[in-house]
Amino acid sequence: MIRDSKTPYWLVGITGLVFILLYGPIFVPIASSFFALKQGVVDWQQPTASAYVTLVSNEGILVALRNTLVVGGAAVVCSLILGIASALYVNSGRSKDRALLQFIIFLPFLMPPIITGLALLIYFREIEFDRSLVTVIIGHTVFVLALVYRTLLVRLQSLSRSLVEASYDLGASGWQTFRYVLLPNLTSAMIGAGILAFALSFDETMITLLVTGTDNTLPIRLWAMMRLGFTPDINALVAVILAFTTLLCLLAARYLMPRES
Amino acid sequence: MSAVLRQSGAWPARIAVFAYPLAFILFPLAAFLAYSFFWTEHGTMSYALTLGNYQRFFTDPVFLPVLWQTCVLCFEVAILTILAGYPVAYFLAGLKGRKRYVLLMLMLVPLLMSYVIKIYAIRSILGGNGVLNRTLIWLGVIDDPLTFFVFNLNAVLLTLTVLLIPFAVLPIFLSLERIPRNLIDASADLGASAAQTFLRVILPLSLPGVVTALTFVFVLAIGDFLTPQMVGGQSGFTFGRIIYSQFGTAFNWPFGAALSVILAIMVIGAIAIGTVFGRDRSAGR
Repeated sequence: MIRDSKTPYWLVGITGLVFILLYGPIFVPIASSFFALKQGVVDWQQPTASAYVTLVSNEGILVALRNTLVVGGAAVVCSLILGIASALYVNSGRSKDRALLQFIIFLPFLMPPIITGLALLIYFREIEFDRSLVTVIIGHTVFVLALVYRTLLVRLQSLSRSLVEASYDLGASGWQTFRYVLLPNLTSAMIGAGILAFALSFDETMITLLVTGTDNTLPIRLWAMMRLGFTPDINALVAVILAFTTLLCLLAARYLMPRES
Repeated sequence: MSAVLRQSGAWPARIAVFAYPLAFILFPLAAFLAYSFFWTEHGTMSYALTLGNYQRFFTDPVFLPVLWQTCVLCFEVAILTILAGYPVAYFLAGLKGRKRYVLLMLMLVPLLMSYVIKIYAIRSILGGNGVLNRTLIWLGVIDDPLTFFVFNLNAVLLTLTVLLIPFAVLPIFLSLERIPRNLIDASADLGASAAQTFLRVILPLSLPGVVTALTFVFVLAIGDFLTPQMVGGQSGFTFGRIIYSQFGTAFNWPFGAALSVILAIMVIGAIAIGTVFGRDRSAGR
């Protein structure tokens, strides 16, 4: 649907307003992170970067940052391996068990995160698996797997069947076909999905809150700090995280956007 | 590898791909369902099956009203996001070329930003001493801070609406985009005014997208416990928050599991209704 008559002003107005609603709030902490705080009120006369200095020297935050990166990296690797195996399997034919596999993979994405988190929490307790960063990694993998799997499946389906057939006809083994024919065609989808999965893991809070033991990730640390109130170092941390996530989004978009011909 | 996977009878391949989803998705969900039929007393678990948790949910005067209140709240959120999101989707669908995808991307970028950060940012605006009240006082609109949106259910409503608007825009945009241009031209050729074309052609054809949006937003809102925890204050109790408290302060896991099963049933119900009324093959995911 493309109209060519001119757009009414009120429509532009509402759209502008919605964009302000979406982006406006996040500028409040970012802007105030550069100013001093006096008795809980931002003093706009006193620009300072002291919040960022305290941030870098805050041990707890640095540990949380390291944990977040470890969890994100591990979840990306696990979900890519599982995603590619499942996508290849589902794409290789049609059967009831393939539909079932896809359904199971999609479940954590359909259910509210609180249910996925609680189910894992109960399960880990019953199998007596202590909560640690490992359980967080498992939880994140479960959560991002649907997205990675879906992205890779779509890319696989867009590849011509004759590619694989030609490879077999030329005498390549199954592994060689995967390594030299399918994998190169999947690379950009894998990178894009990987970045997106990392971004999701980086921000994941609800599942993490439930399955983590004593280890903090950055959002959990942030969550704990925020309950105490509005402080400059939270604002600085918020600004840093937002800058990082925006960068990830731009990167992911580069790899996943269809190329313009 | 794919040769192995090609034969549907290849058990090693099947086991390899099924192992993780079974172990960490299906089994936990099964354990969780089973838990809702157990019970606990003074910190000791009993694995004898009981319907007590469900019975408690239906007979206790607290839980049903909170569930109902939460459903109403989430429905209101869904309506608000659609009222805000429809015009945006309509505007975007009317744009040409690159501009509309850039704007659509900009609409979706906030989804990848940290949920906690967004709640925190909105909280700093809504508080009694927040940016909104200060601005209004500074402008001279009001003399004393307004309180109707300070850390109560209204604050939850506003926050969820702002957070979830992109989920309403996307499905509506997709359904609008799919309306063939010639239908709109035909309507104009037959003498319909712009308003008539909108009401009789565009709106009905975009309804599946609206229903999908409604379902999306409702499902996401009802499962959220961070937002009410953060901006709900003392009075803003929602179902998600009650479930969360069963695993924290109240420490009654089986009862919490039963409440979550009820939540899951609500979600499945909402998705089912959405699928029936939103028959629009590919809108959404």
